[in-house]
Formats: sequence, structure tokens, C-alpha cells
Amino acid sequence: MRISYEWLGDFVDLDGVTPKDAAEVLTRLGVEVESMTVVDLSQIVIGKVLEQKPHPKSRNPLWIHQVDLGDHVQQIIAGAPNAVPGSLVPVALPGTTVPNGKVVKDMNIAGFKASGMLCSAEELLLGEDHAGILILDRGKPGDPLTSVIPSQAIMEAEITSNRPDCMGHLGVARELAAGLDRPMKRDFMPAFTGTADPPGRDLVKVSIDDPDLCSRYIGGVIKGVRVGPSPDWMQRRLRACGVRPINNIVDITNYVLLEYAQPLHAFDLARLSGPAIHVRRARANEKLLALDGLVRDLTSDMLVIADALRPVAVAGVIGGEETAVTTATRDILLESANFNGPSVRQTSRALGLRTEASARFERALPPELALAGARRAASLIAELAGGSVHREWADVYPRPQQPVRVNLRPALIDDVLGTHVPLEEAESILKRLNFHVKVMGDGEWDVLPPVFRLDVTIPEDLVEEVGRVYGYDRVPPTLPGRRHERWTPASPSLDRRLDAIREVMAGSGYTETWNPALVPGRKLEALRIAAHAMRVSNPLSDDMDTLRTSLLPSLIEAMTLNRDRGRLEVRIYEIAEAYLARVGERNGAQPEEPLRLAAIASAGETADEGRDAVYRLKSVLDGCVAAMAAPPCAYDRASTELFHPGRCAAVMLDGRQLGYIGELHPTVTAGAGIDGRVVAFEIDVEPVVAASRIPRAQPLPRFPGVQRDLAVIVDETVAAGVLQAAIKELAGDLLEQVRAFDEYRGTQVPDGHKSVAFTLTFRSPERTLTDAEVDKVMSEIKQGLEKRHRARFRE
Amino acid sequence: MNDPSALTADAVEAIGKSQTSAELERIEVEYLGRKSGHVSKLLEGIGRLSADERAVLGKAVNEAKRMIEGALAARRSQLEATRLADLAETEAIDVTFPGRPLERGQIHVLTQVRRQIETVLESLGYQVELGPEVETEWFNFEALNIAAGHPAREMWDSFYFGPGLLLRAHTSPVQIHAMQRIKEPPIYIITPGRCYRRDAPEATRLPYFSQVEGLAVDKGLTVGDMKGTLLFMIQSLYGRERKVRVRPSFFPFTEPSFEFDVSCGICGGMGCKSCRHKGWLEVGGCGMVHPQVLRNGGIDPSQWNGYAWGFGIERMAMLKHDVDDMRLFYESDLRFLEQF
Ligand SMILES: [Zn+2]
Repeated sequence: MRISYEWLGDFVDLDGVTPKDAAEVLTRLGVEVESMTVVDLSQIVIGKVLEQKPHPKSRNPLWIHQVDLGDHVQQIIAGAPNAVPGSLVPVALPGTTVPNGKVVKDMNIAGFKASGMLCSAEELLLGEDHAGILILDRGKPGDPLTSVIPSQAIMEAEITSNRPDCMGHLGVARELAAGLDRPMKRDFMPAFTGTADPPGRDLVKVSIDDPDLCSRYIGGVIKGVRVGPSPDWMQRRLRACGVRPINNIVDITNYVLLEYAQPLHAFDLARLSGPAIHVRRARANEKLLALDGLVRDLTSDMLVIADALRPVAVAGVIGGEETAVTTATRDILLESANFNGPSVRQTSRALGLRTEASARFERALPPELALAGARRAASLIAELAGGSVHREWADVYPRPQQPVRVNLRPALIDDVLGTHVPLEEAESILKRLNFHVKVMGDGEWDVLPPVFRLDVTIPEDLVEEVGRVYGYDRVPPTLPGRRHERWTPASPSLDRRLDAIREVMAGSGYTETWNPALVPGRKLEALRIAAHAMRVSNPLSDDMDTLRTSLLPSLIEAMTLNRDRGRLEVRIYEIAEAYLARVGERNGAQPEEPLRLAAIASAGETADEGRDAVYRLKSVLDGCVAAMAAPPCAYDRASTELFHPGRCAAVMLDGRQLGYIGELHPTVTAGAGIDGRVVAFEIDVEPVVAASRIPRAQPLPRFPGVQRDLAVIVDETVAAGVLQAAIKELAGDLLEQVRAFDEYRGTQVPDGHKSVAFTLTFRSPERTLTDAEVDKVMSEIKQGLEKRHRARFRE
Repeated sequence: MNDPSALTADAVEAIGKSQTSAELERIEVEYLGRKSGHVSKLLEGIGRLSADERAVLGKAVNEAKRMIEGALAARRSQLEATRLADLAETEAIDVTFPGRPLERGQIHVLTQVRRQIETVLESLGYQVELGPEVETEWFNFEALNIAAGHPAREMWDSFYFGPGLLLRAHTSPVQIHAMQRIKEPPIYIITPGRCYRRDAPEATRLPYFSQVEGLAVDKGLTVGDMKGTLLFMIQSLYGRERKVRVRPSFFPFTEPSFEFDVSCGICGGMGCKSCRHKGWLEVGGCGMVHPQVLRNGGIDPSQWNGYAWGFGIERMAMLKHDVDDMRLFYESDLRFLEQF
């Protein structure tokens, strides 16, 4: 909300308090001033236009003015035609800086000297309109402009949703007064009431259908007003707060809204059908031509203000064009009501229309505010637009605001804040904020919040009131530390345990990424991995409409992005959740959120490069699993979406499938615009964490080991893993380790066959093995492989 | 050549002239070689000599051998000393030549920052708690005192899947889960994790982001304790000279509620361009846990009270590393990620 520093001065003495001081005090009280525009008008003087002539030579229309500046007359050229002789105007003399930053210089325009500049409201930062030179309604030539328009400071403040009373200057000023410990110059409830006969309630009847949606409706009748422009000071304040002046009646309603936070509306009484106001829900097919010029379709969820025939306003949001105040208006009905917050918000959302009024009603205004606002507006109308205000307005108040008293054990203040606030100071603070404090016999305080504070309902709310005025800076920082008899032993978080994996990945050249979990659902569908996808019902866009079921599409996209930006070798990974709807419960229940580890790497162009990359990636994955101190994974030939049909393995841990590893399917890489091969894996990582064991030290071998190589020629279809398992089984206890290290096809190997080379390590815990012993085992292995797999051997 | 002393003199001369260890090797073989070395040859035909002559010759030969060996050793150590003395020239490398690149990946900057935060708070006795990202409306809103129709609900515009099921807008639901599970305070937990809000992506705001929230429930906790915890955390992450201030604000789940700011690291609080002349940088929200929230977590507010705070991990990383666009964290451009 925009707050005018000068306006605050109506309510609290700001002597010696600069705009910056005020902003600081307000921020520390909870009215956060986010930015401030200072408009310094002290260098601008008032001039009176004596003569205005068109510039004879200039191509663009320009006017030459003779301006009386009190002690001399100056020639000033301007482009706008509205500074006619007799006008009082703001003048910036050469050498001054206008508030909008322009520096004024002596100039010569096509042969005519121009000394100074006539200023527009926009140049003085007094408003946004382009009507031309700002014409003043009073002032003495030669005097500083500040004699009629004070220097300004506009604060942009964030008002928290619990403080609708601070959506007006009066509420903000009250905070400031409490913070500065200065008295308020004005009471909350104006004394003004109308005096004209007959009573207003006899002139207009008000009925409310649904008191839950409208807890109060005041309709005041004012007759014989003169509609015209509002005074300059009012227009200026409205503009400063971002509201466009329209006419005195409308401006007054807006002015009171900005002052009291109470929205008001003025109807032209003559344009209402019948002297009755009916607050009801809209009926089927009703429409309203609203003040913004658009015809709004109304629905039965929406509360409207209706006359005898039709809706004339959408309650709390916008008024109707057909009953609006015009220059022809003589008699008005002034509405000051209280509408239900959620209902106004819903209506405002449905209409796609957020107004100053709806923004305030949404936050649940206190109904007592309606009367204060109505009185303030009526007194301003009487003062500025004439007219007679009728006494005894219609005031239908089916849900009177109930006072909420709060009992406070004053020690709670110290207990919660953690510092000592003297009781007198606490009491004084509450009183400054208009709370009534009654000290009871047992020392407890019976506290009555002011009517405009519906947010205070529990003792902790009162502690907050005291604390924020007392100043939280005065609360010393401490660390909690008491004698505990119970505690939870420390254990590393899951993410910190996974750092072991991150170290392996970093050492293997893989960089960690964090990718968005919301992805385009169409992409998952194209990849045929959308079966368990959770769809957002209100997405921001179809690029973020589905929770990912796999991390791989994100990594593939990241690879494409990096390739497009010139990085051809990409190795990246991510540790994050995938989201899988439970079978049969799509969108109805919470999904499974398995934590995944996925990695992806460029793998060259050729089939051989791809194969080698898969084997390298297996080592990376094995390294991760080993770093978690889990048992090694096994790999079974498999096929699944995203992966190359001949180059994919299921990753198995203790017989449980964790995920897949292999080369990506060529259509997947091509679909992502990647030429070349790509290898990847994705596994569930929680089972790996669960399988983690503390490594136990093994005794170091006491006797030397014996290494032998064995090249086995077998049919293409016999997997290395199968041979390895067979060797282990055939070798018996003396074999410590066997590992395939090479695969060969070529001249020495028959077609349809391959040679797989193994390194075998033999060792006995009891003695040094002899060659003869090892030879014997080797020949048993060979015989066994011959028999089982028709193997032959290369020497 | 059969005069041992002449032979020795020849050998010592050759050794003296030699310049390399290879030359010395050759000389050693020439003179002392077991079968065909000159010294060995001196003994050829020794069998024809008398015992006395044999003894004389043997002694002379041994003497020759000893002298040649001594000369060889002396020359060797001379040559080695010279070689070591000349290393600076003979084996110089260009030390300005760049190191050979390692193939090492980076850990994501947000992981690094999250790790630092966890480490600091774990040192104060806080434990990490995790919870689901797809939450029920009750845990995301009602349990946190944000009733339907509450004007504050607008602060957390959320993504829905169906009635009552949404992507959590903050990690606060984890606090409720944790209170319900742990039941008996003291509770000191932090809840890092991903959150979602329906905000269009821009430089300072994303529809997905990561939060860390902290919760302490114990006897007699105060605003001062909360301030001290935040100050400890901030100074541990950013340095001792940093200050923390809490400003009154409003959240339905805390009372009193605050936003907390950290003094600007560039101007030290004097005001500069990077803190928009405020001297302070907004970091997150905090407050004393609302009694109703404790009740919703199954904790009796007449026995226990608590404080809680929360902030974005991205925001912390942006402040720490001068990152000006939050989107960079999630774009996976290696040129960015490799900077940290
Ligand atoms: Zn700064």
C-alpha cells in the first residue's frame, strides 16, 4: 500500500520526524516500508502567468509565457497550452532539479529566450496524469511551492494480512503514534451525524438476505450535493496513493477508503429504482454494467447490492455504471457496509477484478469501521460538496461485532520475550495502541482490544503488541540450554549419508544437478513413462504440469541444454525424488516418493565406444554402492523404456531390483536432439542406504597369492557373468577372486564366438600355494567350462 | 700389460678423465671384469710361479684392485655430486605450464549450502526430519492454523492434484508429522526439502524451491532463544561480524511472528546498492509457535512452548555467492554449476 507521509501528519505530530525516521519506526513495528519516493518541492516557486502567446517559428506547437515571479517577470516556453493568463503555476528556475530528475537550464528556442520551466504534476511526481502544466488553486507569486503543497514522501509498505486496519492512513498513523509515543490528534469515531429531516432510514429501506455474507449495511442519504472537482489537496493525495480523481463525491469515498480502510460507495439516489436496497445473491443470468465499462456476468455465488429491479453493485468489489454519481447527480445514497472476506475474495477472483475495496474486504474488516467511515465521508461531503445529510441513517446490523476480551498473565510477556519489560511500560504500550487494560485482583490483566483490532484474541497476541512497540532489538539473543532428561541421539541425515555417493560421482567426473520436479506431462507420455504420473490440476503452464516419474528426462534435457551451449562432453547426475501414483489411486492419494540416483554421460559415436562407456558407468555405480558400504550389485540383462534394447541391465541388490543401467535408446537421444550415444542409470537409492553395513576389518593375507589368466572361447550367447559364476563354482576354496578383463572377437576366434579373458587370483590362508596345486585347479576349471559351455581356451 | 702398478696408474688416469657413469661402468669392466678384466689377467699363469712369487703377485694384484675400486667410487661420487649440483639446469621444467586437468565433477551449490546449514544446526543438537512433498491440505494448511478462507492462504497459492491433495507450499507439514511422531519434547529438528508455490518463474522467485525450517519445542523457550539460534546460524554461515534483526510480521502458525534480516555483508549495515540502501537483507520468517499448532501436533501448550523459523536455501546461496538469478540453480548449465 502507498502511504503518504504528509497525510500521516494529519493524525500525529511529525515535528522532528523525517520520512526516513517514520519508515524506520513503522518497519520495526511490523509495517514494512519496502521503498520510499521523496518528492522535494522546496526548490520550486509559484508563478502567475501574465501572458501566453504561441511561438511564431517553432515547428511543434509551443507557447511563450510571461510569468510573474513576485519580484520580476520571466519568459518561459512550454509545450502544453493550459497555462492561460491568470493561472498560478509551479515554476522551476534554471539550475534547479525537478523531482523527476530533470535539470533546468537557460535555453534559446528558435530565437526566443526561455528561462525556467512550467512543471506538470508528473514532473513534480505529484501524479501520473498528462493534462499539462499543474494549475494551482491558490498561492502567491514568488513564494515557494511548499507554501501550498508540502514536500512529499510516498512509502510503499507491505501490510500483513492480519491488519486490515492498517490499509488506511489512520491505522498506520496510530502505529506510528504508538511507536513514537505521541498522542493521536483525532479520535477513531468522528462525531459528525446528519441533522436533516426526515430520518434517512425512512427514505431508503435496507434488507439483507444473508447476514453471513453481509454483517452490516449503512445507507446514508445526502440531498442537494453539488458534483464537481474535488479540491487540489484531496486530488493530490489521491494521486499520490495511485487513485485517479473523478469528482468530489467519488473522490471522497476513495479518500475515506485510503484514510479509514473502509470502502464506501455512492449511488445516485435518483437513478436507483425505488428507495430500497436489497443485499442478496445474484440471480441466474443477471448482469451488471460495471464502473470499469465492462458487462459482468453474475453468478449465484456472488453477493450483489440490488435496487427493486436489478443489481446495482457487486458487493465489496465494484459499483454499477447506471447508478453512478454524475455531474447531474443531486441526491446520493452513501453505502458503508461490511461484507464477508472469503466471499468477496471468491467473487473478485471469479470476476478477475481486484479493486481497492475488494483488497480490504478480503481481509475481514471489523463492522464497527463501517460507521466511522460513513460519518467521515458524510462530513467531508457536507463540507466539500454541500448538501444536507439526513439524520438516523439506515443501519442494518444483523451480526453486531462482539468484543473479545483477553486475559493476560503479565508474566507471560517476560516468559515469551526472554527479557524483562516493566509492567508499567507494558501497560502503557497497550494503552497507546488503544487497548483497555484492567488489572484484576489476582494480578491478571483483563484486556479489551480496540474495535478495529479483530486480530487480537489470545494472550500471545498481546505479548506481540507489547514486544513490537517495546522493541525486539532490546531482547538479548540467548541460546536455549536447559537440563534435559531426555534426548534423541545424533544420527547423520539421509542427505549427509548420500554425500559418500556425491564424492564418488565427483571423483568420476560427474557434476551434480538440481532439476525441477514439475515437468511437461506430454514429454513423459512421449517417452511412455507417464503411467504413474501425477498431474497438477491447476498448472501454471503445460511445461510444468506433471510430477516426474523418472529423473532421466530432466538429465537428458540438461544434456541437450549444455550441448546447445557448446559443451559436448556432459557427465551429470541428480539425487532426488521421483513421484509414482499408487496403482488405482491416481491423483487421489499421496504418491510414492522414492529417492533416486540417476546419472547420464556422453558416450561417443561408435558401438564400441558406447559399450565401453556402459562398462565405465557400471564402475561408477559400483563405486557408489561400495562407498555406501552396501554389498555389490548384480546386473541382469533387461529391457525397458528409454534404454537400448541390447544394452540394458537391471541393477540388482540382494535379489531386489533397484533400477536400470545401460545405453539410452537411439530414439530417445535423437528425440532430445543429441547425436551420439549416451549412457545412463537410474536406481532407487534408499535400499542401498538400508543395505549399508559398517565395514569390518579383515586380517591381511599372510601368504602370497598366485595370479593366472584364462582366455575362454565360447559361443557369443554365453555371458561373462555366467562364465565368472561357473569359474567360481569350479575353482573351490583356493580361488580368491576372478574378474573378466577383456573381450575379443577376431582372427583367432571362430565366427559366432568370442574370447573372454579372466584374471584369477588363488590364495590359501594356511600356506604358500605351489604351481602344481594351482595348475590342478586350473585344469579342473577348464574341464568344467568345456563340459558346461563347450568352451575352448586360447594360450 | 702385466705390471700391476702401471696398470693401476693407467686405470686411475682413465677414471679421472671419465665424465659419465656409463664410462665408469665400462672402465670397471675393462679392468676389474671377472674373467677378461686386466686385473684378472695379471693372474694368468700364476700357477707357474713359486709360492713366494705367488704371494707377492697376489698382494700386488689385490692392491691394484683395491686402488682401482677406490678410484672408481671416488669418481662416482664426484660425478653424482656434479649431477645433483647441475639439476636446476639439466632437469628444469616449465613450471608455468598449466597442470593436467582432472576429470572431477562438482557438488551442486545448493547441496553445499544445505550441507553447511545442516552441519551448523546439527552442532546445536537439531536433527533432520523429512516428509512427503505431496501433502494433504490438512497438514499443509489447517494444522498450521491456516483455515480455509483465511486471507493469509493467499500467501501460499498451491498446486493441487485433486481435492485436499497438493504439493506442499512449505516444509512446515514436516513439523506437524514430527511432533505427532516424537510426542514428548524436547524436540529440536530441522526440515530441509523441496516446496512449491504457484508463482510464475522470475529471477527472485520460482514455483519450486527448497526450504529449511527449524523447530524447537521445549520448556520456557523465548524470543531471545530464537534470536540467539538465528544469530548463531547466520554467523556460522556468513561470519562473526554479521548481525540479525527480527521484524514483527504475521504468520498464522506463529505468535508473535517475525521476518528476520541479516546485515548486509557488503556495507556492514550502512546501506549500499546491493541491499537497496537498507543495510539489511531479508532472509526468512520466524516466530514463537502458535499454541494451536502445538495442539495440532499433539503437544500440550500449557506445558511446552516453541519457536520455529524458515528460509529458502536458494536465498541463502544467493546471499553467500552473489547469485542474482534463482533460475540458474535449476537450469543445470555446467558453466554455472562448475563455479562453486
Ligand atoms: Zn549493503
